[in-house]
Amino acid sequence: MTTLTFPLSRIEGHARVEIEVQDGEVLSAHFQATEWRGFQYLVQGAPAEQMPVIVPRICGVCSTAHHVASVKALEDAYGIEPPPLARTIRELLLLGQLIQNQATSLFIFTMPDRLGVDSLFEVDEADADAAEAHVEMRALQIRQAGTHLIRLAGGQFIHPVKATVGGVTGGIPAQEAEKMRESLAQVLPSARELFDYYWEKSLALGERLGTWGDDAPACYIASVGSECPNFCGEQLHVLNAEGSYCTSFATQNFRDYLIHQESETSYAGQTSFQGEVLRANSLARINLVERLGTPVADAYLARFREAFGNPAHAILLFDLARGIELVYALERAQEILAQPLDGEEVAVSYTRRDGEGYGLVEAPRGPLIHHYRIEDGRIAEAEFIIPTVHNILAIERALRVAARRYITAERVDMELERAVGRVVRAFDPCIACATH
Amino acid sequence: MMSTLKRFAVLQLSGCAGCEVSLLNADAWVQEYRLVYMPLVVSAHTVPEVDLLLVSGGVRTDEDLYSLRRAVKCAEQVIAVGTCAISGGVANLGNRDEVRQLFLAHETRRHLPRLFPKSHPIDEFVTIDRYLPGCPPTPELFMALLTGDPEFKPAKTVCQDCGRKKVKDLRPAELLGFQQGRVLPDICLINQGYLCIGTSTRGGCGAPCTRAGHPCVGCRGPSDVFIAKDANAWLTSIKRIFATMTDIAPEIIDAELRSPQLALFVFQFADYDGVERPPRPPERIL
Repeated sequence: MTTLTFPLSRIEGHARVEIEVQDGEVLSAHFQATEWRGFQYLVQGAPAEQMPVIVPRICGVCSTAHHVASVKALEDAYGIEPPPLARTIRELLLLGQLIQNQATSLFIFTMPDRLGVDSLFEVDEADADAAEAHVEMRALQIRQAGTHLIRLAGGQFIHPVKATVGGVTGGIPAQEAEKMRESLAQVLPSARELFDYYWEKSLALGERLGTWGDDAPACYIASVGSECPNFCGEQLHVLNAEGSYCTSFATQNFRDYLIHQESETSYAGQTSFQGEVLRANSLARINLVERLGTPVADAYLARFREAFGNPAHAILLFDLARGIELVYALERAQEILAQPLDGEEVAVSYTRRDGEGYGLVEAPRGPLIHHYRIEDGRIAEAEFIIPTVHNILAIERALRVAARRYITAERVDMELERAVGRVVRAFDPCIACATH
Repeated sequence: MMSTLKRFAVLQLSGCAGCEVSLLNADAWVQEYRLVYMPLVVSAHTVPEVDLLLVSGGVRTDEDLYSLRRAVKCAEQVIAVGTCAISGGVANLGNRDEVRQLFLAHETRRHLPRLFPKSHPIDEFVTIDRYLPGCPPTPELFMALLTGDPEFKPAKTVCQDCGRKKVKDLRPAELLGFQQGRVLPDICLINQGYLCIGTSTRGGCGAPCTRAGHPCVGCRGPSDVFIAKDANAWLTSIKRIFATMTDIAPEIIDAELRSPQLALFVFQFADYDGVERPPRPPERIL
């Protein structure tokens, strides 16, 4: 037996892929997370109210999602509801995160694959169109629109601080909101152009490879509203592989539907939907919502569904779905910023109590759940249900499909290494979160 | 043209990538540097010869240590970036004896980097030329570091950057902790009963947290005045400030300051984990 090991880059965190081959037959493909800090243990004993400061440090890319999930888990434990303005500001926070994340994944992580280069910083040299379009500079600018929005709504853009138990520390003054709205309005056309360019290059890539990463259909999991996205909801939904039936359940009941297993060969576990392969992230949301609810994004969605069907399944469509969400987030954030956000009612008061709490957010990578048990005001038990972990079985299955395509008894096609990178990046896994 | 650019690499050990995300926002370096290694954004699997090596994250596994030792040999100058690389950071909470036991259940895993019993700062193993503390350091600090901007004059403390007013007639008798309701704009957080330690935390970040209404947790470590002293000197100074500005019982302040989460930040330049080390020289810290 031969083991092929592929180190990974342009993903968040440390991981590698190992493919076991015997006589040209692919025996297995493992996606291995190789780091671990043990947050579920190291937070034990911490005062419960300090969790919103500690848990963003699980991941500097997904910190906003952890920050909000943590606050929601504590509110659930204390039995309180934040006022509407606080919810709105939290939605802005999560939209900022979505802009930052989808722009990073599209332009920094996966754009180089479309052009056959090692990084975004070589894109302009590799492609005359890209140089003319100033792809490198504009990609960074679009990404920064997201970080600036997080900073406005969250104080700090990497480990935000403004969401607190009961609400947020303050509103957003009208002048600052308007300034941000204008800057997002300026970024939107640029994001559309770059996404169109990306879409075109993806078509060319699909044509060259003769595949968009075909794999059997899978179930899709996301937390979305009844028609449109909702990043701060209370329900999870799983669409079956045929796209004909949706199972819905409340956050605290997730164990009845999701089966979690630890892995011997990875510091990340894996989740199935009652034994079936599950997919989370952009494509899951796009398959689960009826519409996005903003005009430009909905036009992209119509074009996407016309080209690829609904539900859509091919692996590289995760990337296109991310672009549609980038446009959506830029539009939706502008709608919110046009509302008054500087009201007085930003938080409700509360009394600390022991007990259990669950907090759900739809993070860019899928539904994220924090579950805490509090004793004597301190964390007695913490559980972090991570979206990337829902995708592990799907990643490994897609890797096996790719491996079989490029491995025969005679040879291993060198395209395999690139295919491994493309498959993994399509799922945009976050290893710091997955292992936590 | 390209050859005139300085080459730099970013090695990420066990951490959260927050430092890297911050660096991406400090994109002024694109003009002066060529980024040759940073797995988050560049496909390259070993560190080549570079002028500058930035290391983020702590040493948690044998693979971290191997990568670190190999990378520093390729670099003219090595800079420790962020709280994890400098003190072990949030992962240090796992160094507590009662928590370490829990990790033992995971020893059965195969083909994976082996966890060390504790998380370690990188200067336990290699020599560091400069330190850039913060969790994470802001993009402005990264820019100041990379461009060596002589115009960049960091404030001595977070307090000096904050802009909130201290008022004499507002003396809270109770501590609000970290997470409690609406925050009054423009007024010092200590006056409002929050456990803010920005009065003696190293400045230069621009005080984004306190400006947004969240107390400073000291992620940049102590200001120059306290760096060469032990953690108790800093602790005493914080307690003295609360005694001067509030009517909160000193034992309450003391208990909160010693809570695990705050300890993680407060003692980052000192002897929190019980290891005897000389203090880091202030002139090497930005």
